[in-house]
Amino acid sequence: MSRLAVVSGGLREPSSTRLLADRLDQAVQHELSRAGAEVTSSVIELRRLGRPIMDAMLTGFPTSELEEAFETVAAADALIAVTPAFNASFSGLFKCFFDVLPEESLADMPVLIAATGGTERHSLVLEHALRPMFSYLHAVVSPTGVYAATEDFGARSASGGLAERIGRAAADFTRLLRSCGTRTRRDAFAEQLAEMEQLLGGTAPERNAR
Amino acid sequence: MSGMQFGIFTVGDVTPDPTTGRTPTEAERIRATVTIAKKAEEVGLDVFATGEHHNPPFVPSSPTTLLGYIAAQTERLILSTSTTLITTNDPVKIAEDFSVLQHLSRGRVDLMLGRGNTGPVYPWFGQDIRMAVPLTVEHYGLLRRLWREQVVEWSGEFRSPLQEFTLAPQPLDGVPPFVWHGSIRTPEVAELAAFYGDGFFANHIFWPSSHTQRMVESYRQRFEHHGHGRADQAIVGLGGQVFMRPNSQDAVEEFRPYFDNAPVYGHGPSLEEFTAQTPLTVGSPQQVIDRTLGFRDYVGDYQRQLFLIDHAGLPVKTVLEQLDLLGEQVVPVLRKEFAVGRPEHVPDAPTHESLVAAARARELSQDEQEQR
Repeated sequence: MSRLAVVSGGLREPSSTRLLADRLDQAVQHELSRAGAEVTSSVIELRRLGRPIMDAMLTGFPTSELEEAFETVAAADALIAVTPAFNASFSGLFKCFFDVLPEESLADMPVLIAATGGTERHSLVLEHALRPMFSYLHAVVSPTGVYAATEDFGARSASGGLAERIGRAAADFTRLLRSCGTRTRRDAFAEQLAEMEQLLGGTAPERNAR
Repeated sequence: MSGMQFGIFTVGDVTPDPTTGRTPTEAERIRATVTIAKKAEEVGLDVFATGEHHNPPFVPSSPTTLLGYIAAQTERLILSTSTTLITTNDPVKIAEDFSVLQHLSRGRVDLMLGRGNTGPVYPWFGQDIRMAVPLTVEHYGLLRRLWREQVVEWSGEFRSPLQEFTLAPQPLDGVPPFVWHGSIRTPEVAELAAFYGDGFFANHIFWPSSHTQRMVESYRQRFEHHGHGRADQAIVGLGGQVFMRPNSQDAVEEFRPYFDNAPVYGHGPSLEEFTAQTPLTVGSPQQVIDRTLGFRDYVGDYQRQLFLIDHAGLPVKTVLEQLDLLGEQVVPVLRKEFAVGRPEHVPDAPTHESLVAAARARELSQDEQEQR
């Protein structure tokens, strides 16, 4: 079984970012089930976590609902991440979520990146903002991302239209996902413990006097 | 003394009082700290611990100077730290400073070691924060030897070598101060404490209880793994944070501006959210008693409970009132209730006397073995 996590950074309801996220989600699910895999997916709407995300920034720890979202992401086999383009980059909220997400949550995670924007002039936001960030987080970023401008939602389905781009991105992502094999989730707590054990080396001294 | 020790720990921040806008001077803050420590003894608490910071707005850059001054004006209070920076302090100087303090206070001293997470402090003392973990391991390894071996031959990566070095003065009664390792969230610290069979202190106050539970559990398991005793015999300390008034609504109203503007969590979650998510308790003494007794449910029977009560710009008068409430209404009940159902084999909180007694017992059994 494959577990998909979908992070949508859209702010309005209804949101074109969420719309794109859902279409990508469906397309990937479709591709995966065609290949015979069972798929489940969970959508995380960042708007609903707006305050917990900012609180986590300020206090250094997540509320239980935010921790649940962290767990959904970290436990997934693949992530679809969609943000609106703001000021030539991802939205601040989108970035904040990944800033407070515990380290190593995305290590070895196949990620499909997508963004929405008012005009197609911002389409390179995928390449200069999203891709480097996810690479930095040690994710395996799918080569084909999807950028949807407002215009795309009204365009007649022509060759190279949004539906076709979504289909191609989903097919590429699925191929990547299947060739990545099973993902082993990293456990920072256990890793740090093991590292310390190695540093200390040898046998513990005899019990302290009490 | 019964099984557990109760006390206070201070960060030593100089913070404007948000209700008046007035900032105490450094001199006022330092003198207030002494007043607070003396009051802690007067109301029957067991421990006073000070943080160590090397940048404004904090004043405690020289903890043993402060603790030595307090030692001279108290009789029973155990003086400790929260924390002593094992990374940026020279272990030789730590050994010397605490040895002198041990003699002056007649054994009323222990210390809590921590790494420190303020990046710029490291280079000020010639160190590198990226090496914090190996530094901790090397420095602490040396500190232990300085306190336990008459003549130390040592070389390492981070400090000049020592040849034929003898610590002066030697620890009081030949027994080093008890060492706690303090941590907010790093499992490495729990492992270090477990490896040496030292105490583990979970800061607990900026982090939900589920995380404290995981850290303490890990420490206890590893303590047993390393052969220092059973998991429930490991030495655990917890932080806590309280603000009390006889009427709980008064406590909430009075504390709210201090909470809302506190340097560490202000301008974020509401007081209500933060108290629900962390061990912070703002309310009546009975609420503090109930909440604190609940800590045992997730860390097991433990040895030391310290409260943070003097930060975020609270006036000295208010802090002293908090101490009155702690001493009169809270701690006596906690002592009694925590003793109920505490198994015999769970050790009491360590003191100099208990460490000396254990050391003598060990010497005796060694002599007997040699005579056979």
